[in-house]
Amino acid sequence: MAGLTTLFLLGGSQSTPLLLACLGGLLSESSGVINFALEGMMLVGAFTAVWATHVTGSPWIGLAAGAAGGMAVAAVHGVASLAFRANQIVSSIALNLLAAGLTGTLLNHVFRVYGTSPAVSKLPTLGDWIPWLEGSALAVSGGLGSLPVLVPCAFLASLLVWYFLLHTPWGLSIRACGENPMAASSTGLKVSWIRFGAVTAGGVFAGAGGAYLSIGELAHFVERMTQGRGYLAVAALILGRWMPGGALAAVLLFGFAEALSQWLAVRWSQWPPQLFLAFPYLLSLTVLLFRRGRHGPPSALGQL
Amino acid sequence: MTRIFLNWLPVPVVGVLLVVLIGWMHGAGPWHLPAAIWTGAWGTPEAAMATLGKMSPLLLTGLAVALAYRMGLLNIGGEGQLVLGALAAAVTGGYCGGLPAGLGFLLPLMAGAVLGGVWAFPAVWLRQRKGVHEVLSTLLLNTIAVFLAEYLVLGPLGDGTALGRTPAIAPQAVWPSLGAGAPAGITAAPVVALLICWGAQIWLSRSVRGYEVTASGSNASAAELAGIPVASLQRRIFLLSGALAGLAGALEVAAVHHRFYRAFSPGYGFDGITAAFLVGGSPGWLWLSGLVLASLRAADKWLQLALGISPGAIWIVQAVLLLTVACRFRRSSR
Repeated sequence: MAGLTTLFLLGGSQSTPLLLACLGGLLSESSGVINFALEGMMLVGAFTAVWATHVTGSPWIGLAAGAAGGMAVAAVHGVASLAFRANQIVSSIALNLLAAGLTGTLLNHVFRVYGTSPAVSKLPTLGDWIPWLEGSALAVSGGLGSLPVLVPCAFLASLLVWYFLLHTPWGLSIRACGENPMAASSTGLKVSWIRFGAVTAGGVFAGAGGAYLSIGELAHFVERMTQGRGYLAVAALILGRWMPGGALAAVLLFGFAEALSQWLAVRWSQWPPQLFLAFPYLLSLTVLLFRRGRHGPPSALGQL
Repeated sequence: MTRIFLNWLPVPVVGVLLVVLIGWMHGAGPWHLPAAIWTGAWGTPEAAMATLGKMSPLLLTGLAVALAYRMGLLNIGGEGQLVLGALAAAVTGGYCGGLPAGLGFLLPLMAGAVLGGVWAFPAVWLRQRKGVHEVLSTLLLNTIAVFLAEYLVLGPLGDGTALGRTPAIAPQAVWPSLGAGAPAGITAAPVVALLICWGAQIWLSRSVRGYEVTASGSNASAAELAGIPVASLQRRIFLLSGALAGLAGALEVAAVHHRFYRAFSPGYGFDGITAAFLVGGSPGWLWLSGLVLASLRAADKWLQLALGISPGAIWIVQAVLLLTVACRFRRSSR
């Protein structure tokens, strides 16, 4: 029983960065801009969050800086794909490479270290805010109180994004740009600006997802700490068919798969650890095999 | 010609500006960094040989990306295909001791190419049957390949030590050094890789099949209507692309390292993407981007020693070059 609670909590905390990044990707791709650069946005967000926390001492300013870092990468992606009509996949790949190089170089430049930054203060956990959680029945092995506050915030954010995209005029405009930019522009919408807004807003989410990794879960930056989570977020987006609900379900699947593999890796230590490390990726590939139907991406995804 | 010139001019300009800027940020004079890259990559005979040695994987992974891109497919899985191709070559090479010289020489290369192709297959299958973009599936396959290779080399295929490496390959499988005395030794591998690239260029521009590939890549439905079997061509080109990346890994084993070890590839698979796009996906010009990237790669340790610049700076240069290439600076006619 205690094991299951641990698994549940671990799953929630593993899903959070994926969910935030996936929401960012959803915003961007709903407007018609392909976004494989989530990985880079997360990585830069993770770094700027630690940097700002180190400088100011406040993890909340760190979180804002993380979001800003992700937004900056997204802005470059937006300018390259919209103003300069770059191939959006190539631009994404370049930005992921840039993020890896830039964070590594800056880590060395700012902190004078290689690999891992010095520790900074973390975002509070649920237990810090709601003290009775620590003493409650759920307080098994760390318990609910040990979850970072960003976890419920991320799930709340997914509700907001769902409402925003599907039930507000702005969301409709964004989706119109993704489905048929010509028609959208003929109704007077400024397609390029709406897309730019959607991509940069997506960067805020992805950057916050990165910040969760560095100052929510851990308290330092590790080189390439995102470890392909940005790509898993894209996989979740595809699996969830570019719908907020579907994306949430897919993210939970991947998050719990990761939690399960970490949980099993401890228990079945006679099995090779690489099997557990590769498990979320294997699972997402397998699940893509069983994709059915043709409810595909926004019709104008990747087109100008 | 002017059009091509205008489109490509920003690339060297941005590249040079960036290199100067990074050097200046590190407190060096504007020309220190270019000079240091030159010294690091070509300053001594040993360095020049090491740089040339890095050309062959870059050329082949670059060709893998360029060829698939002609067909309208993006093969980002070069890294995984290269790693598994290298592992297959190292394992096969280990068993080649009793074989005649020619067979023992060819078999590891073939094994590498075959496994590279096999590892590319799920991506093209998912694309054709399920509409999953190949960029995503190949990225997932990359991660799986790296973990798989790590497990195999630490476990069943290792040489029994804890170093995480396979046994050395048989002497028949080793590419002989062309010139004696150099530390790494220069083999014929870069030349062979270059010939493969030029061969691919001639095949693409002069043969019927090559024309069909280009036609399907630029307009699949028009090509389909013209009677070109687009789907089967897509499959074959993508498998060929995977095989080329696998061959790149096999060549690294046979010509340079003579065994497979953990963390085998320093990202050659991803460098192939940059190499291909820097020259607009034309195999005949890959030597140029290969030369630039190999110089940058070869110089990174030297930069750290000489100027205290972290190796990540090289990635920044690469990334910005790639981003510059992706952007179109002329207004389109549309």
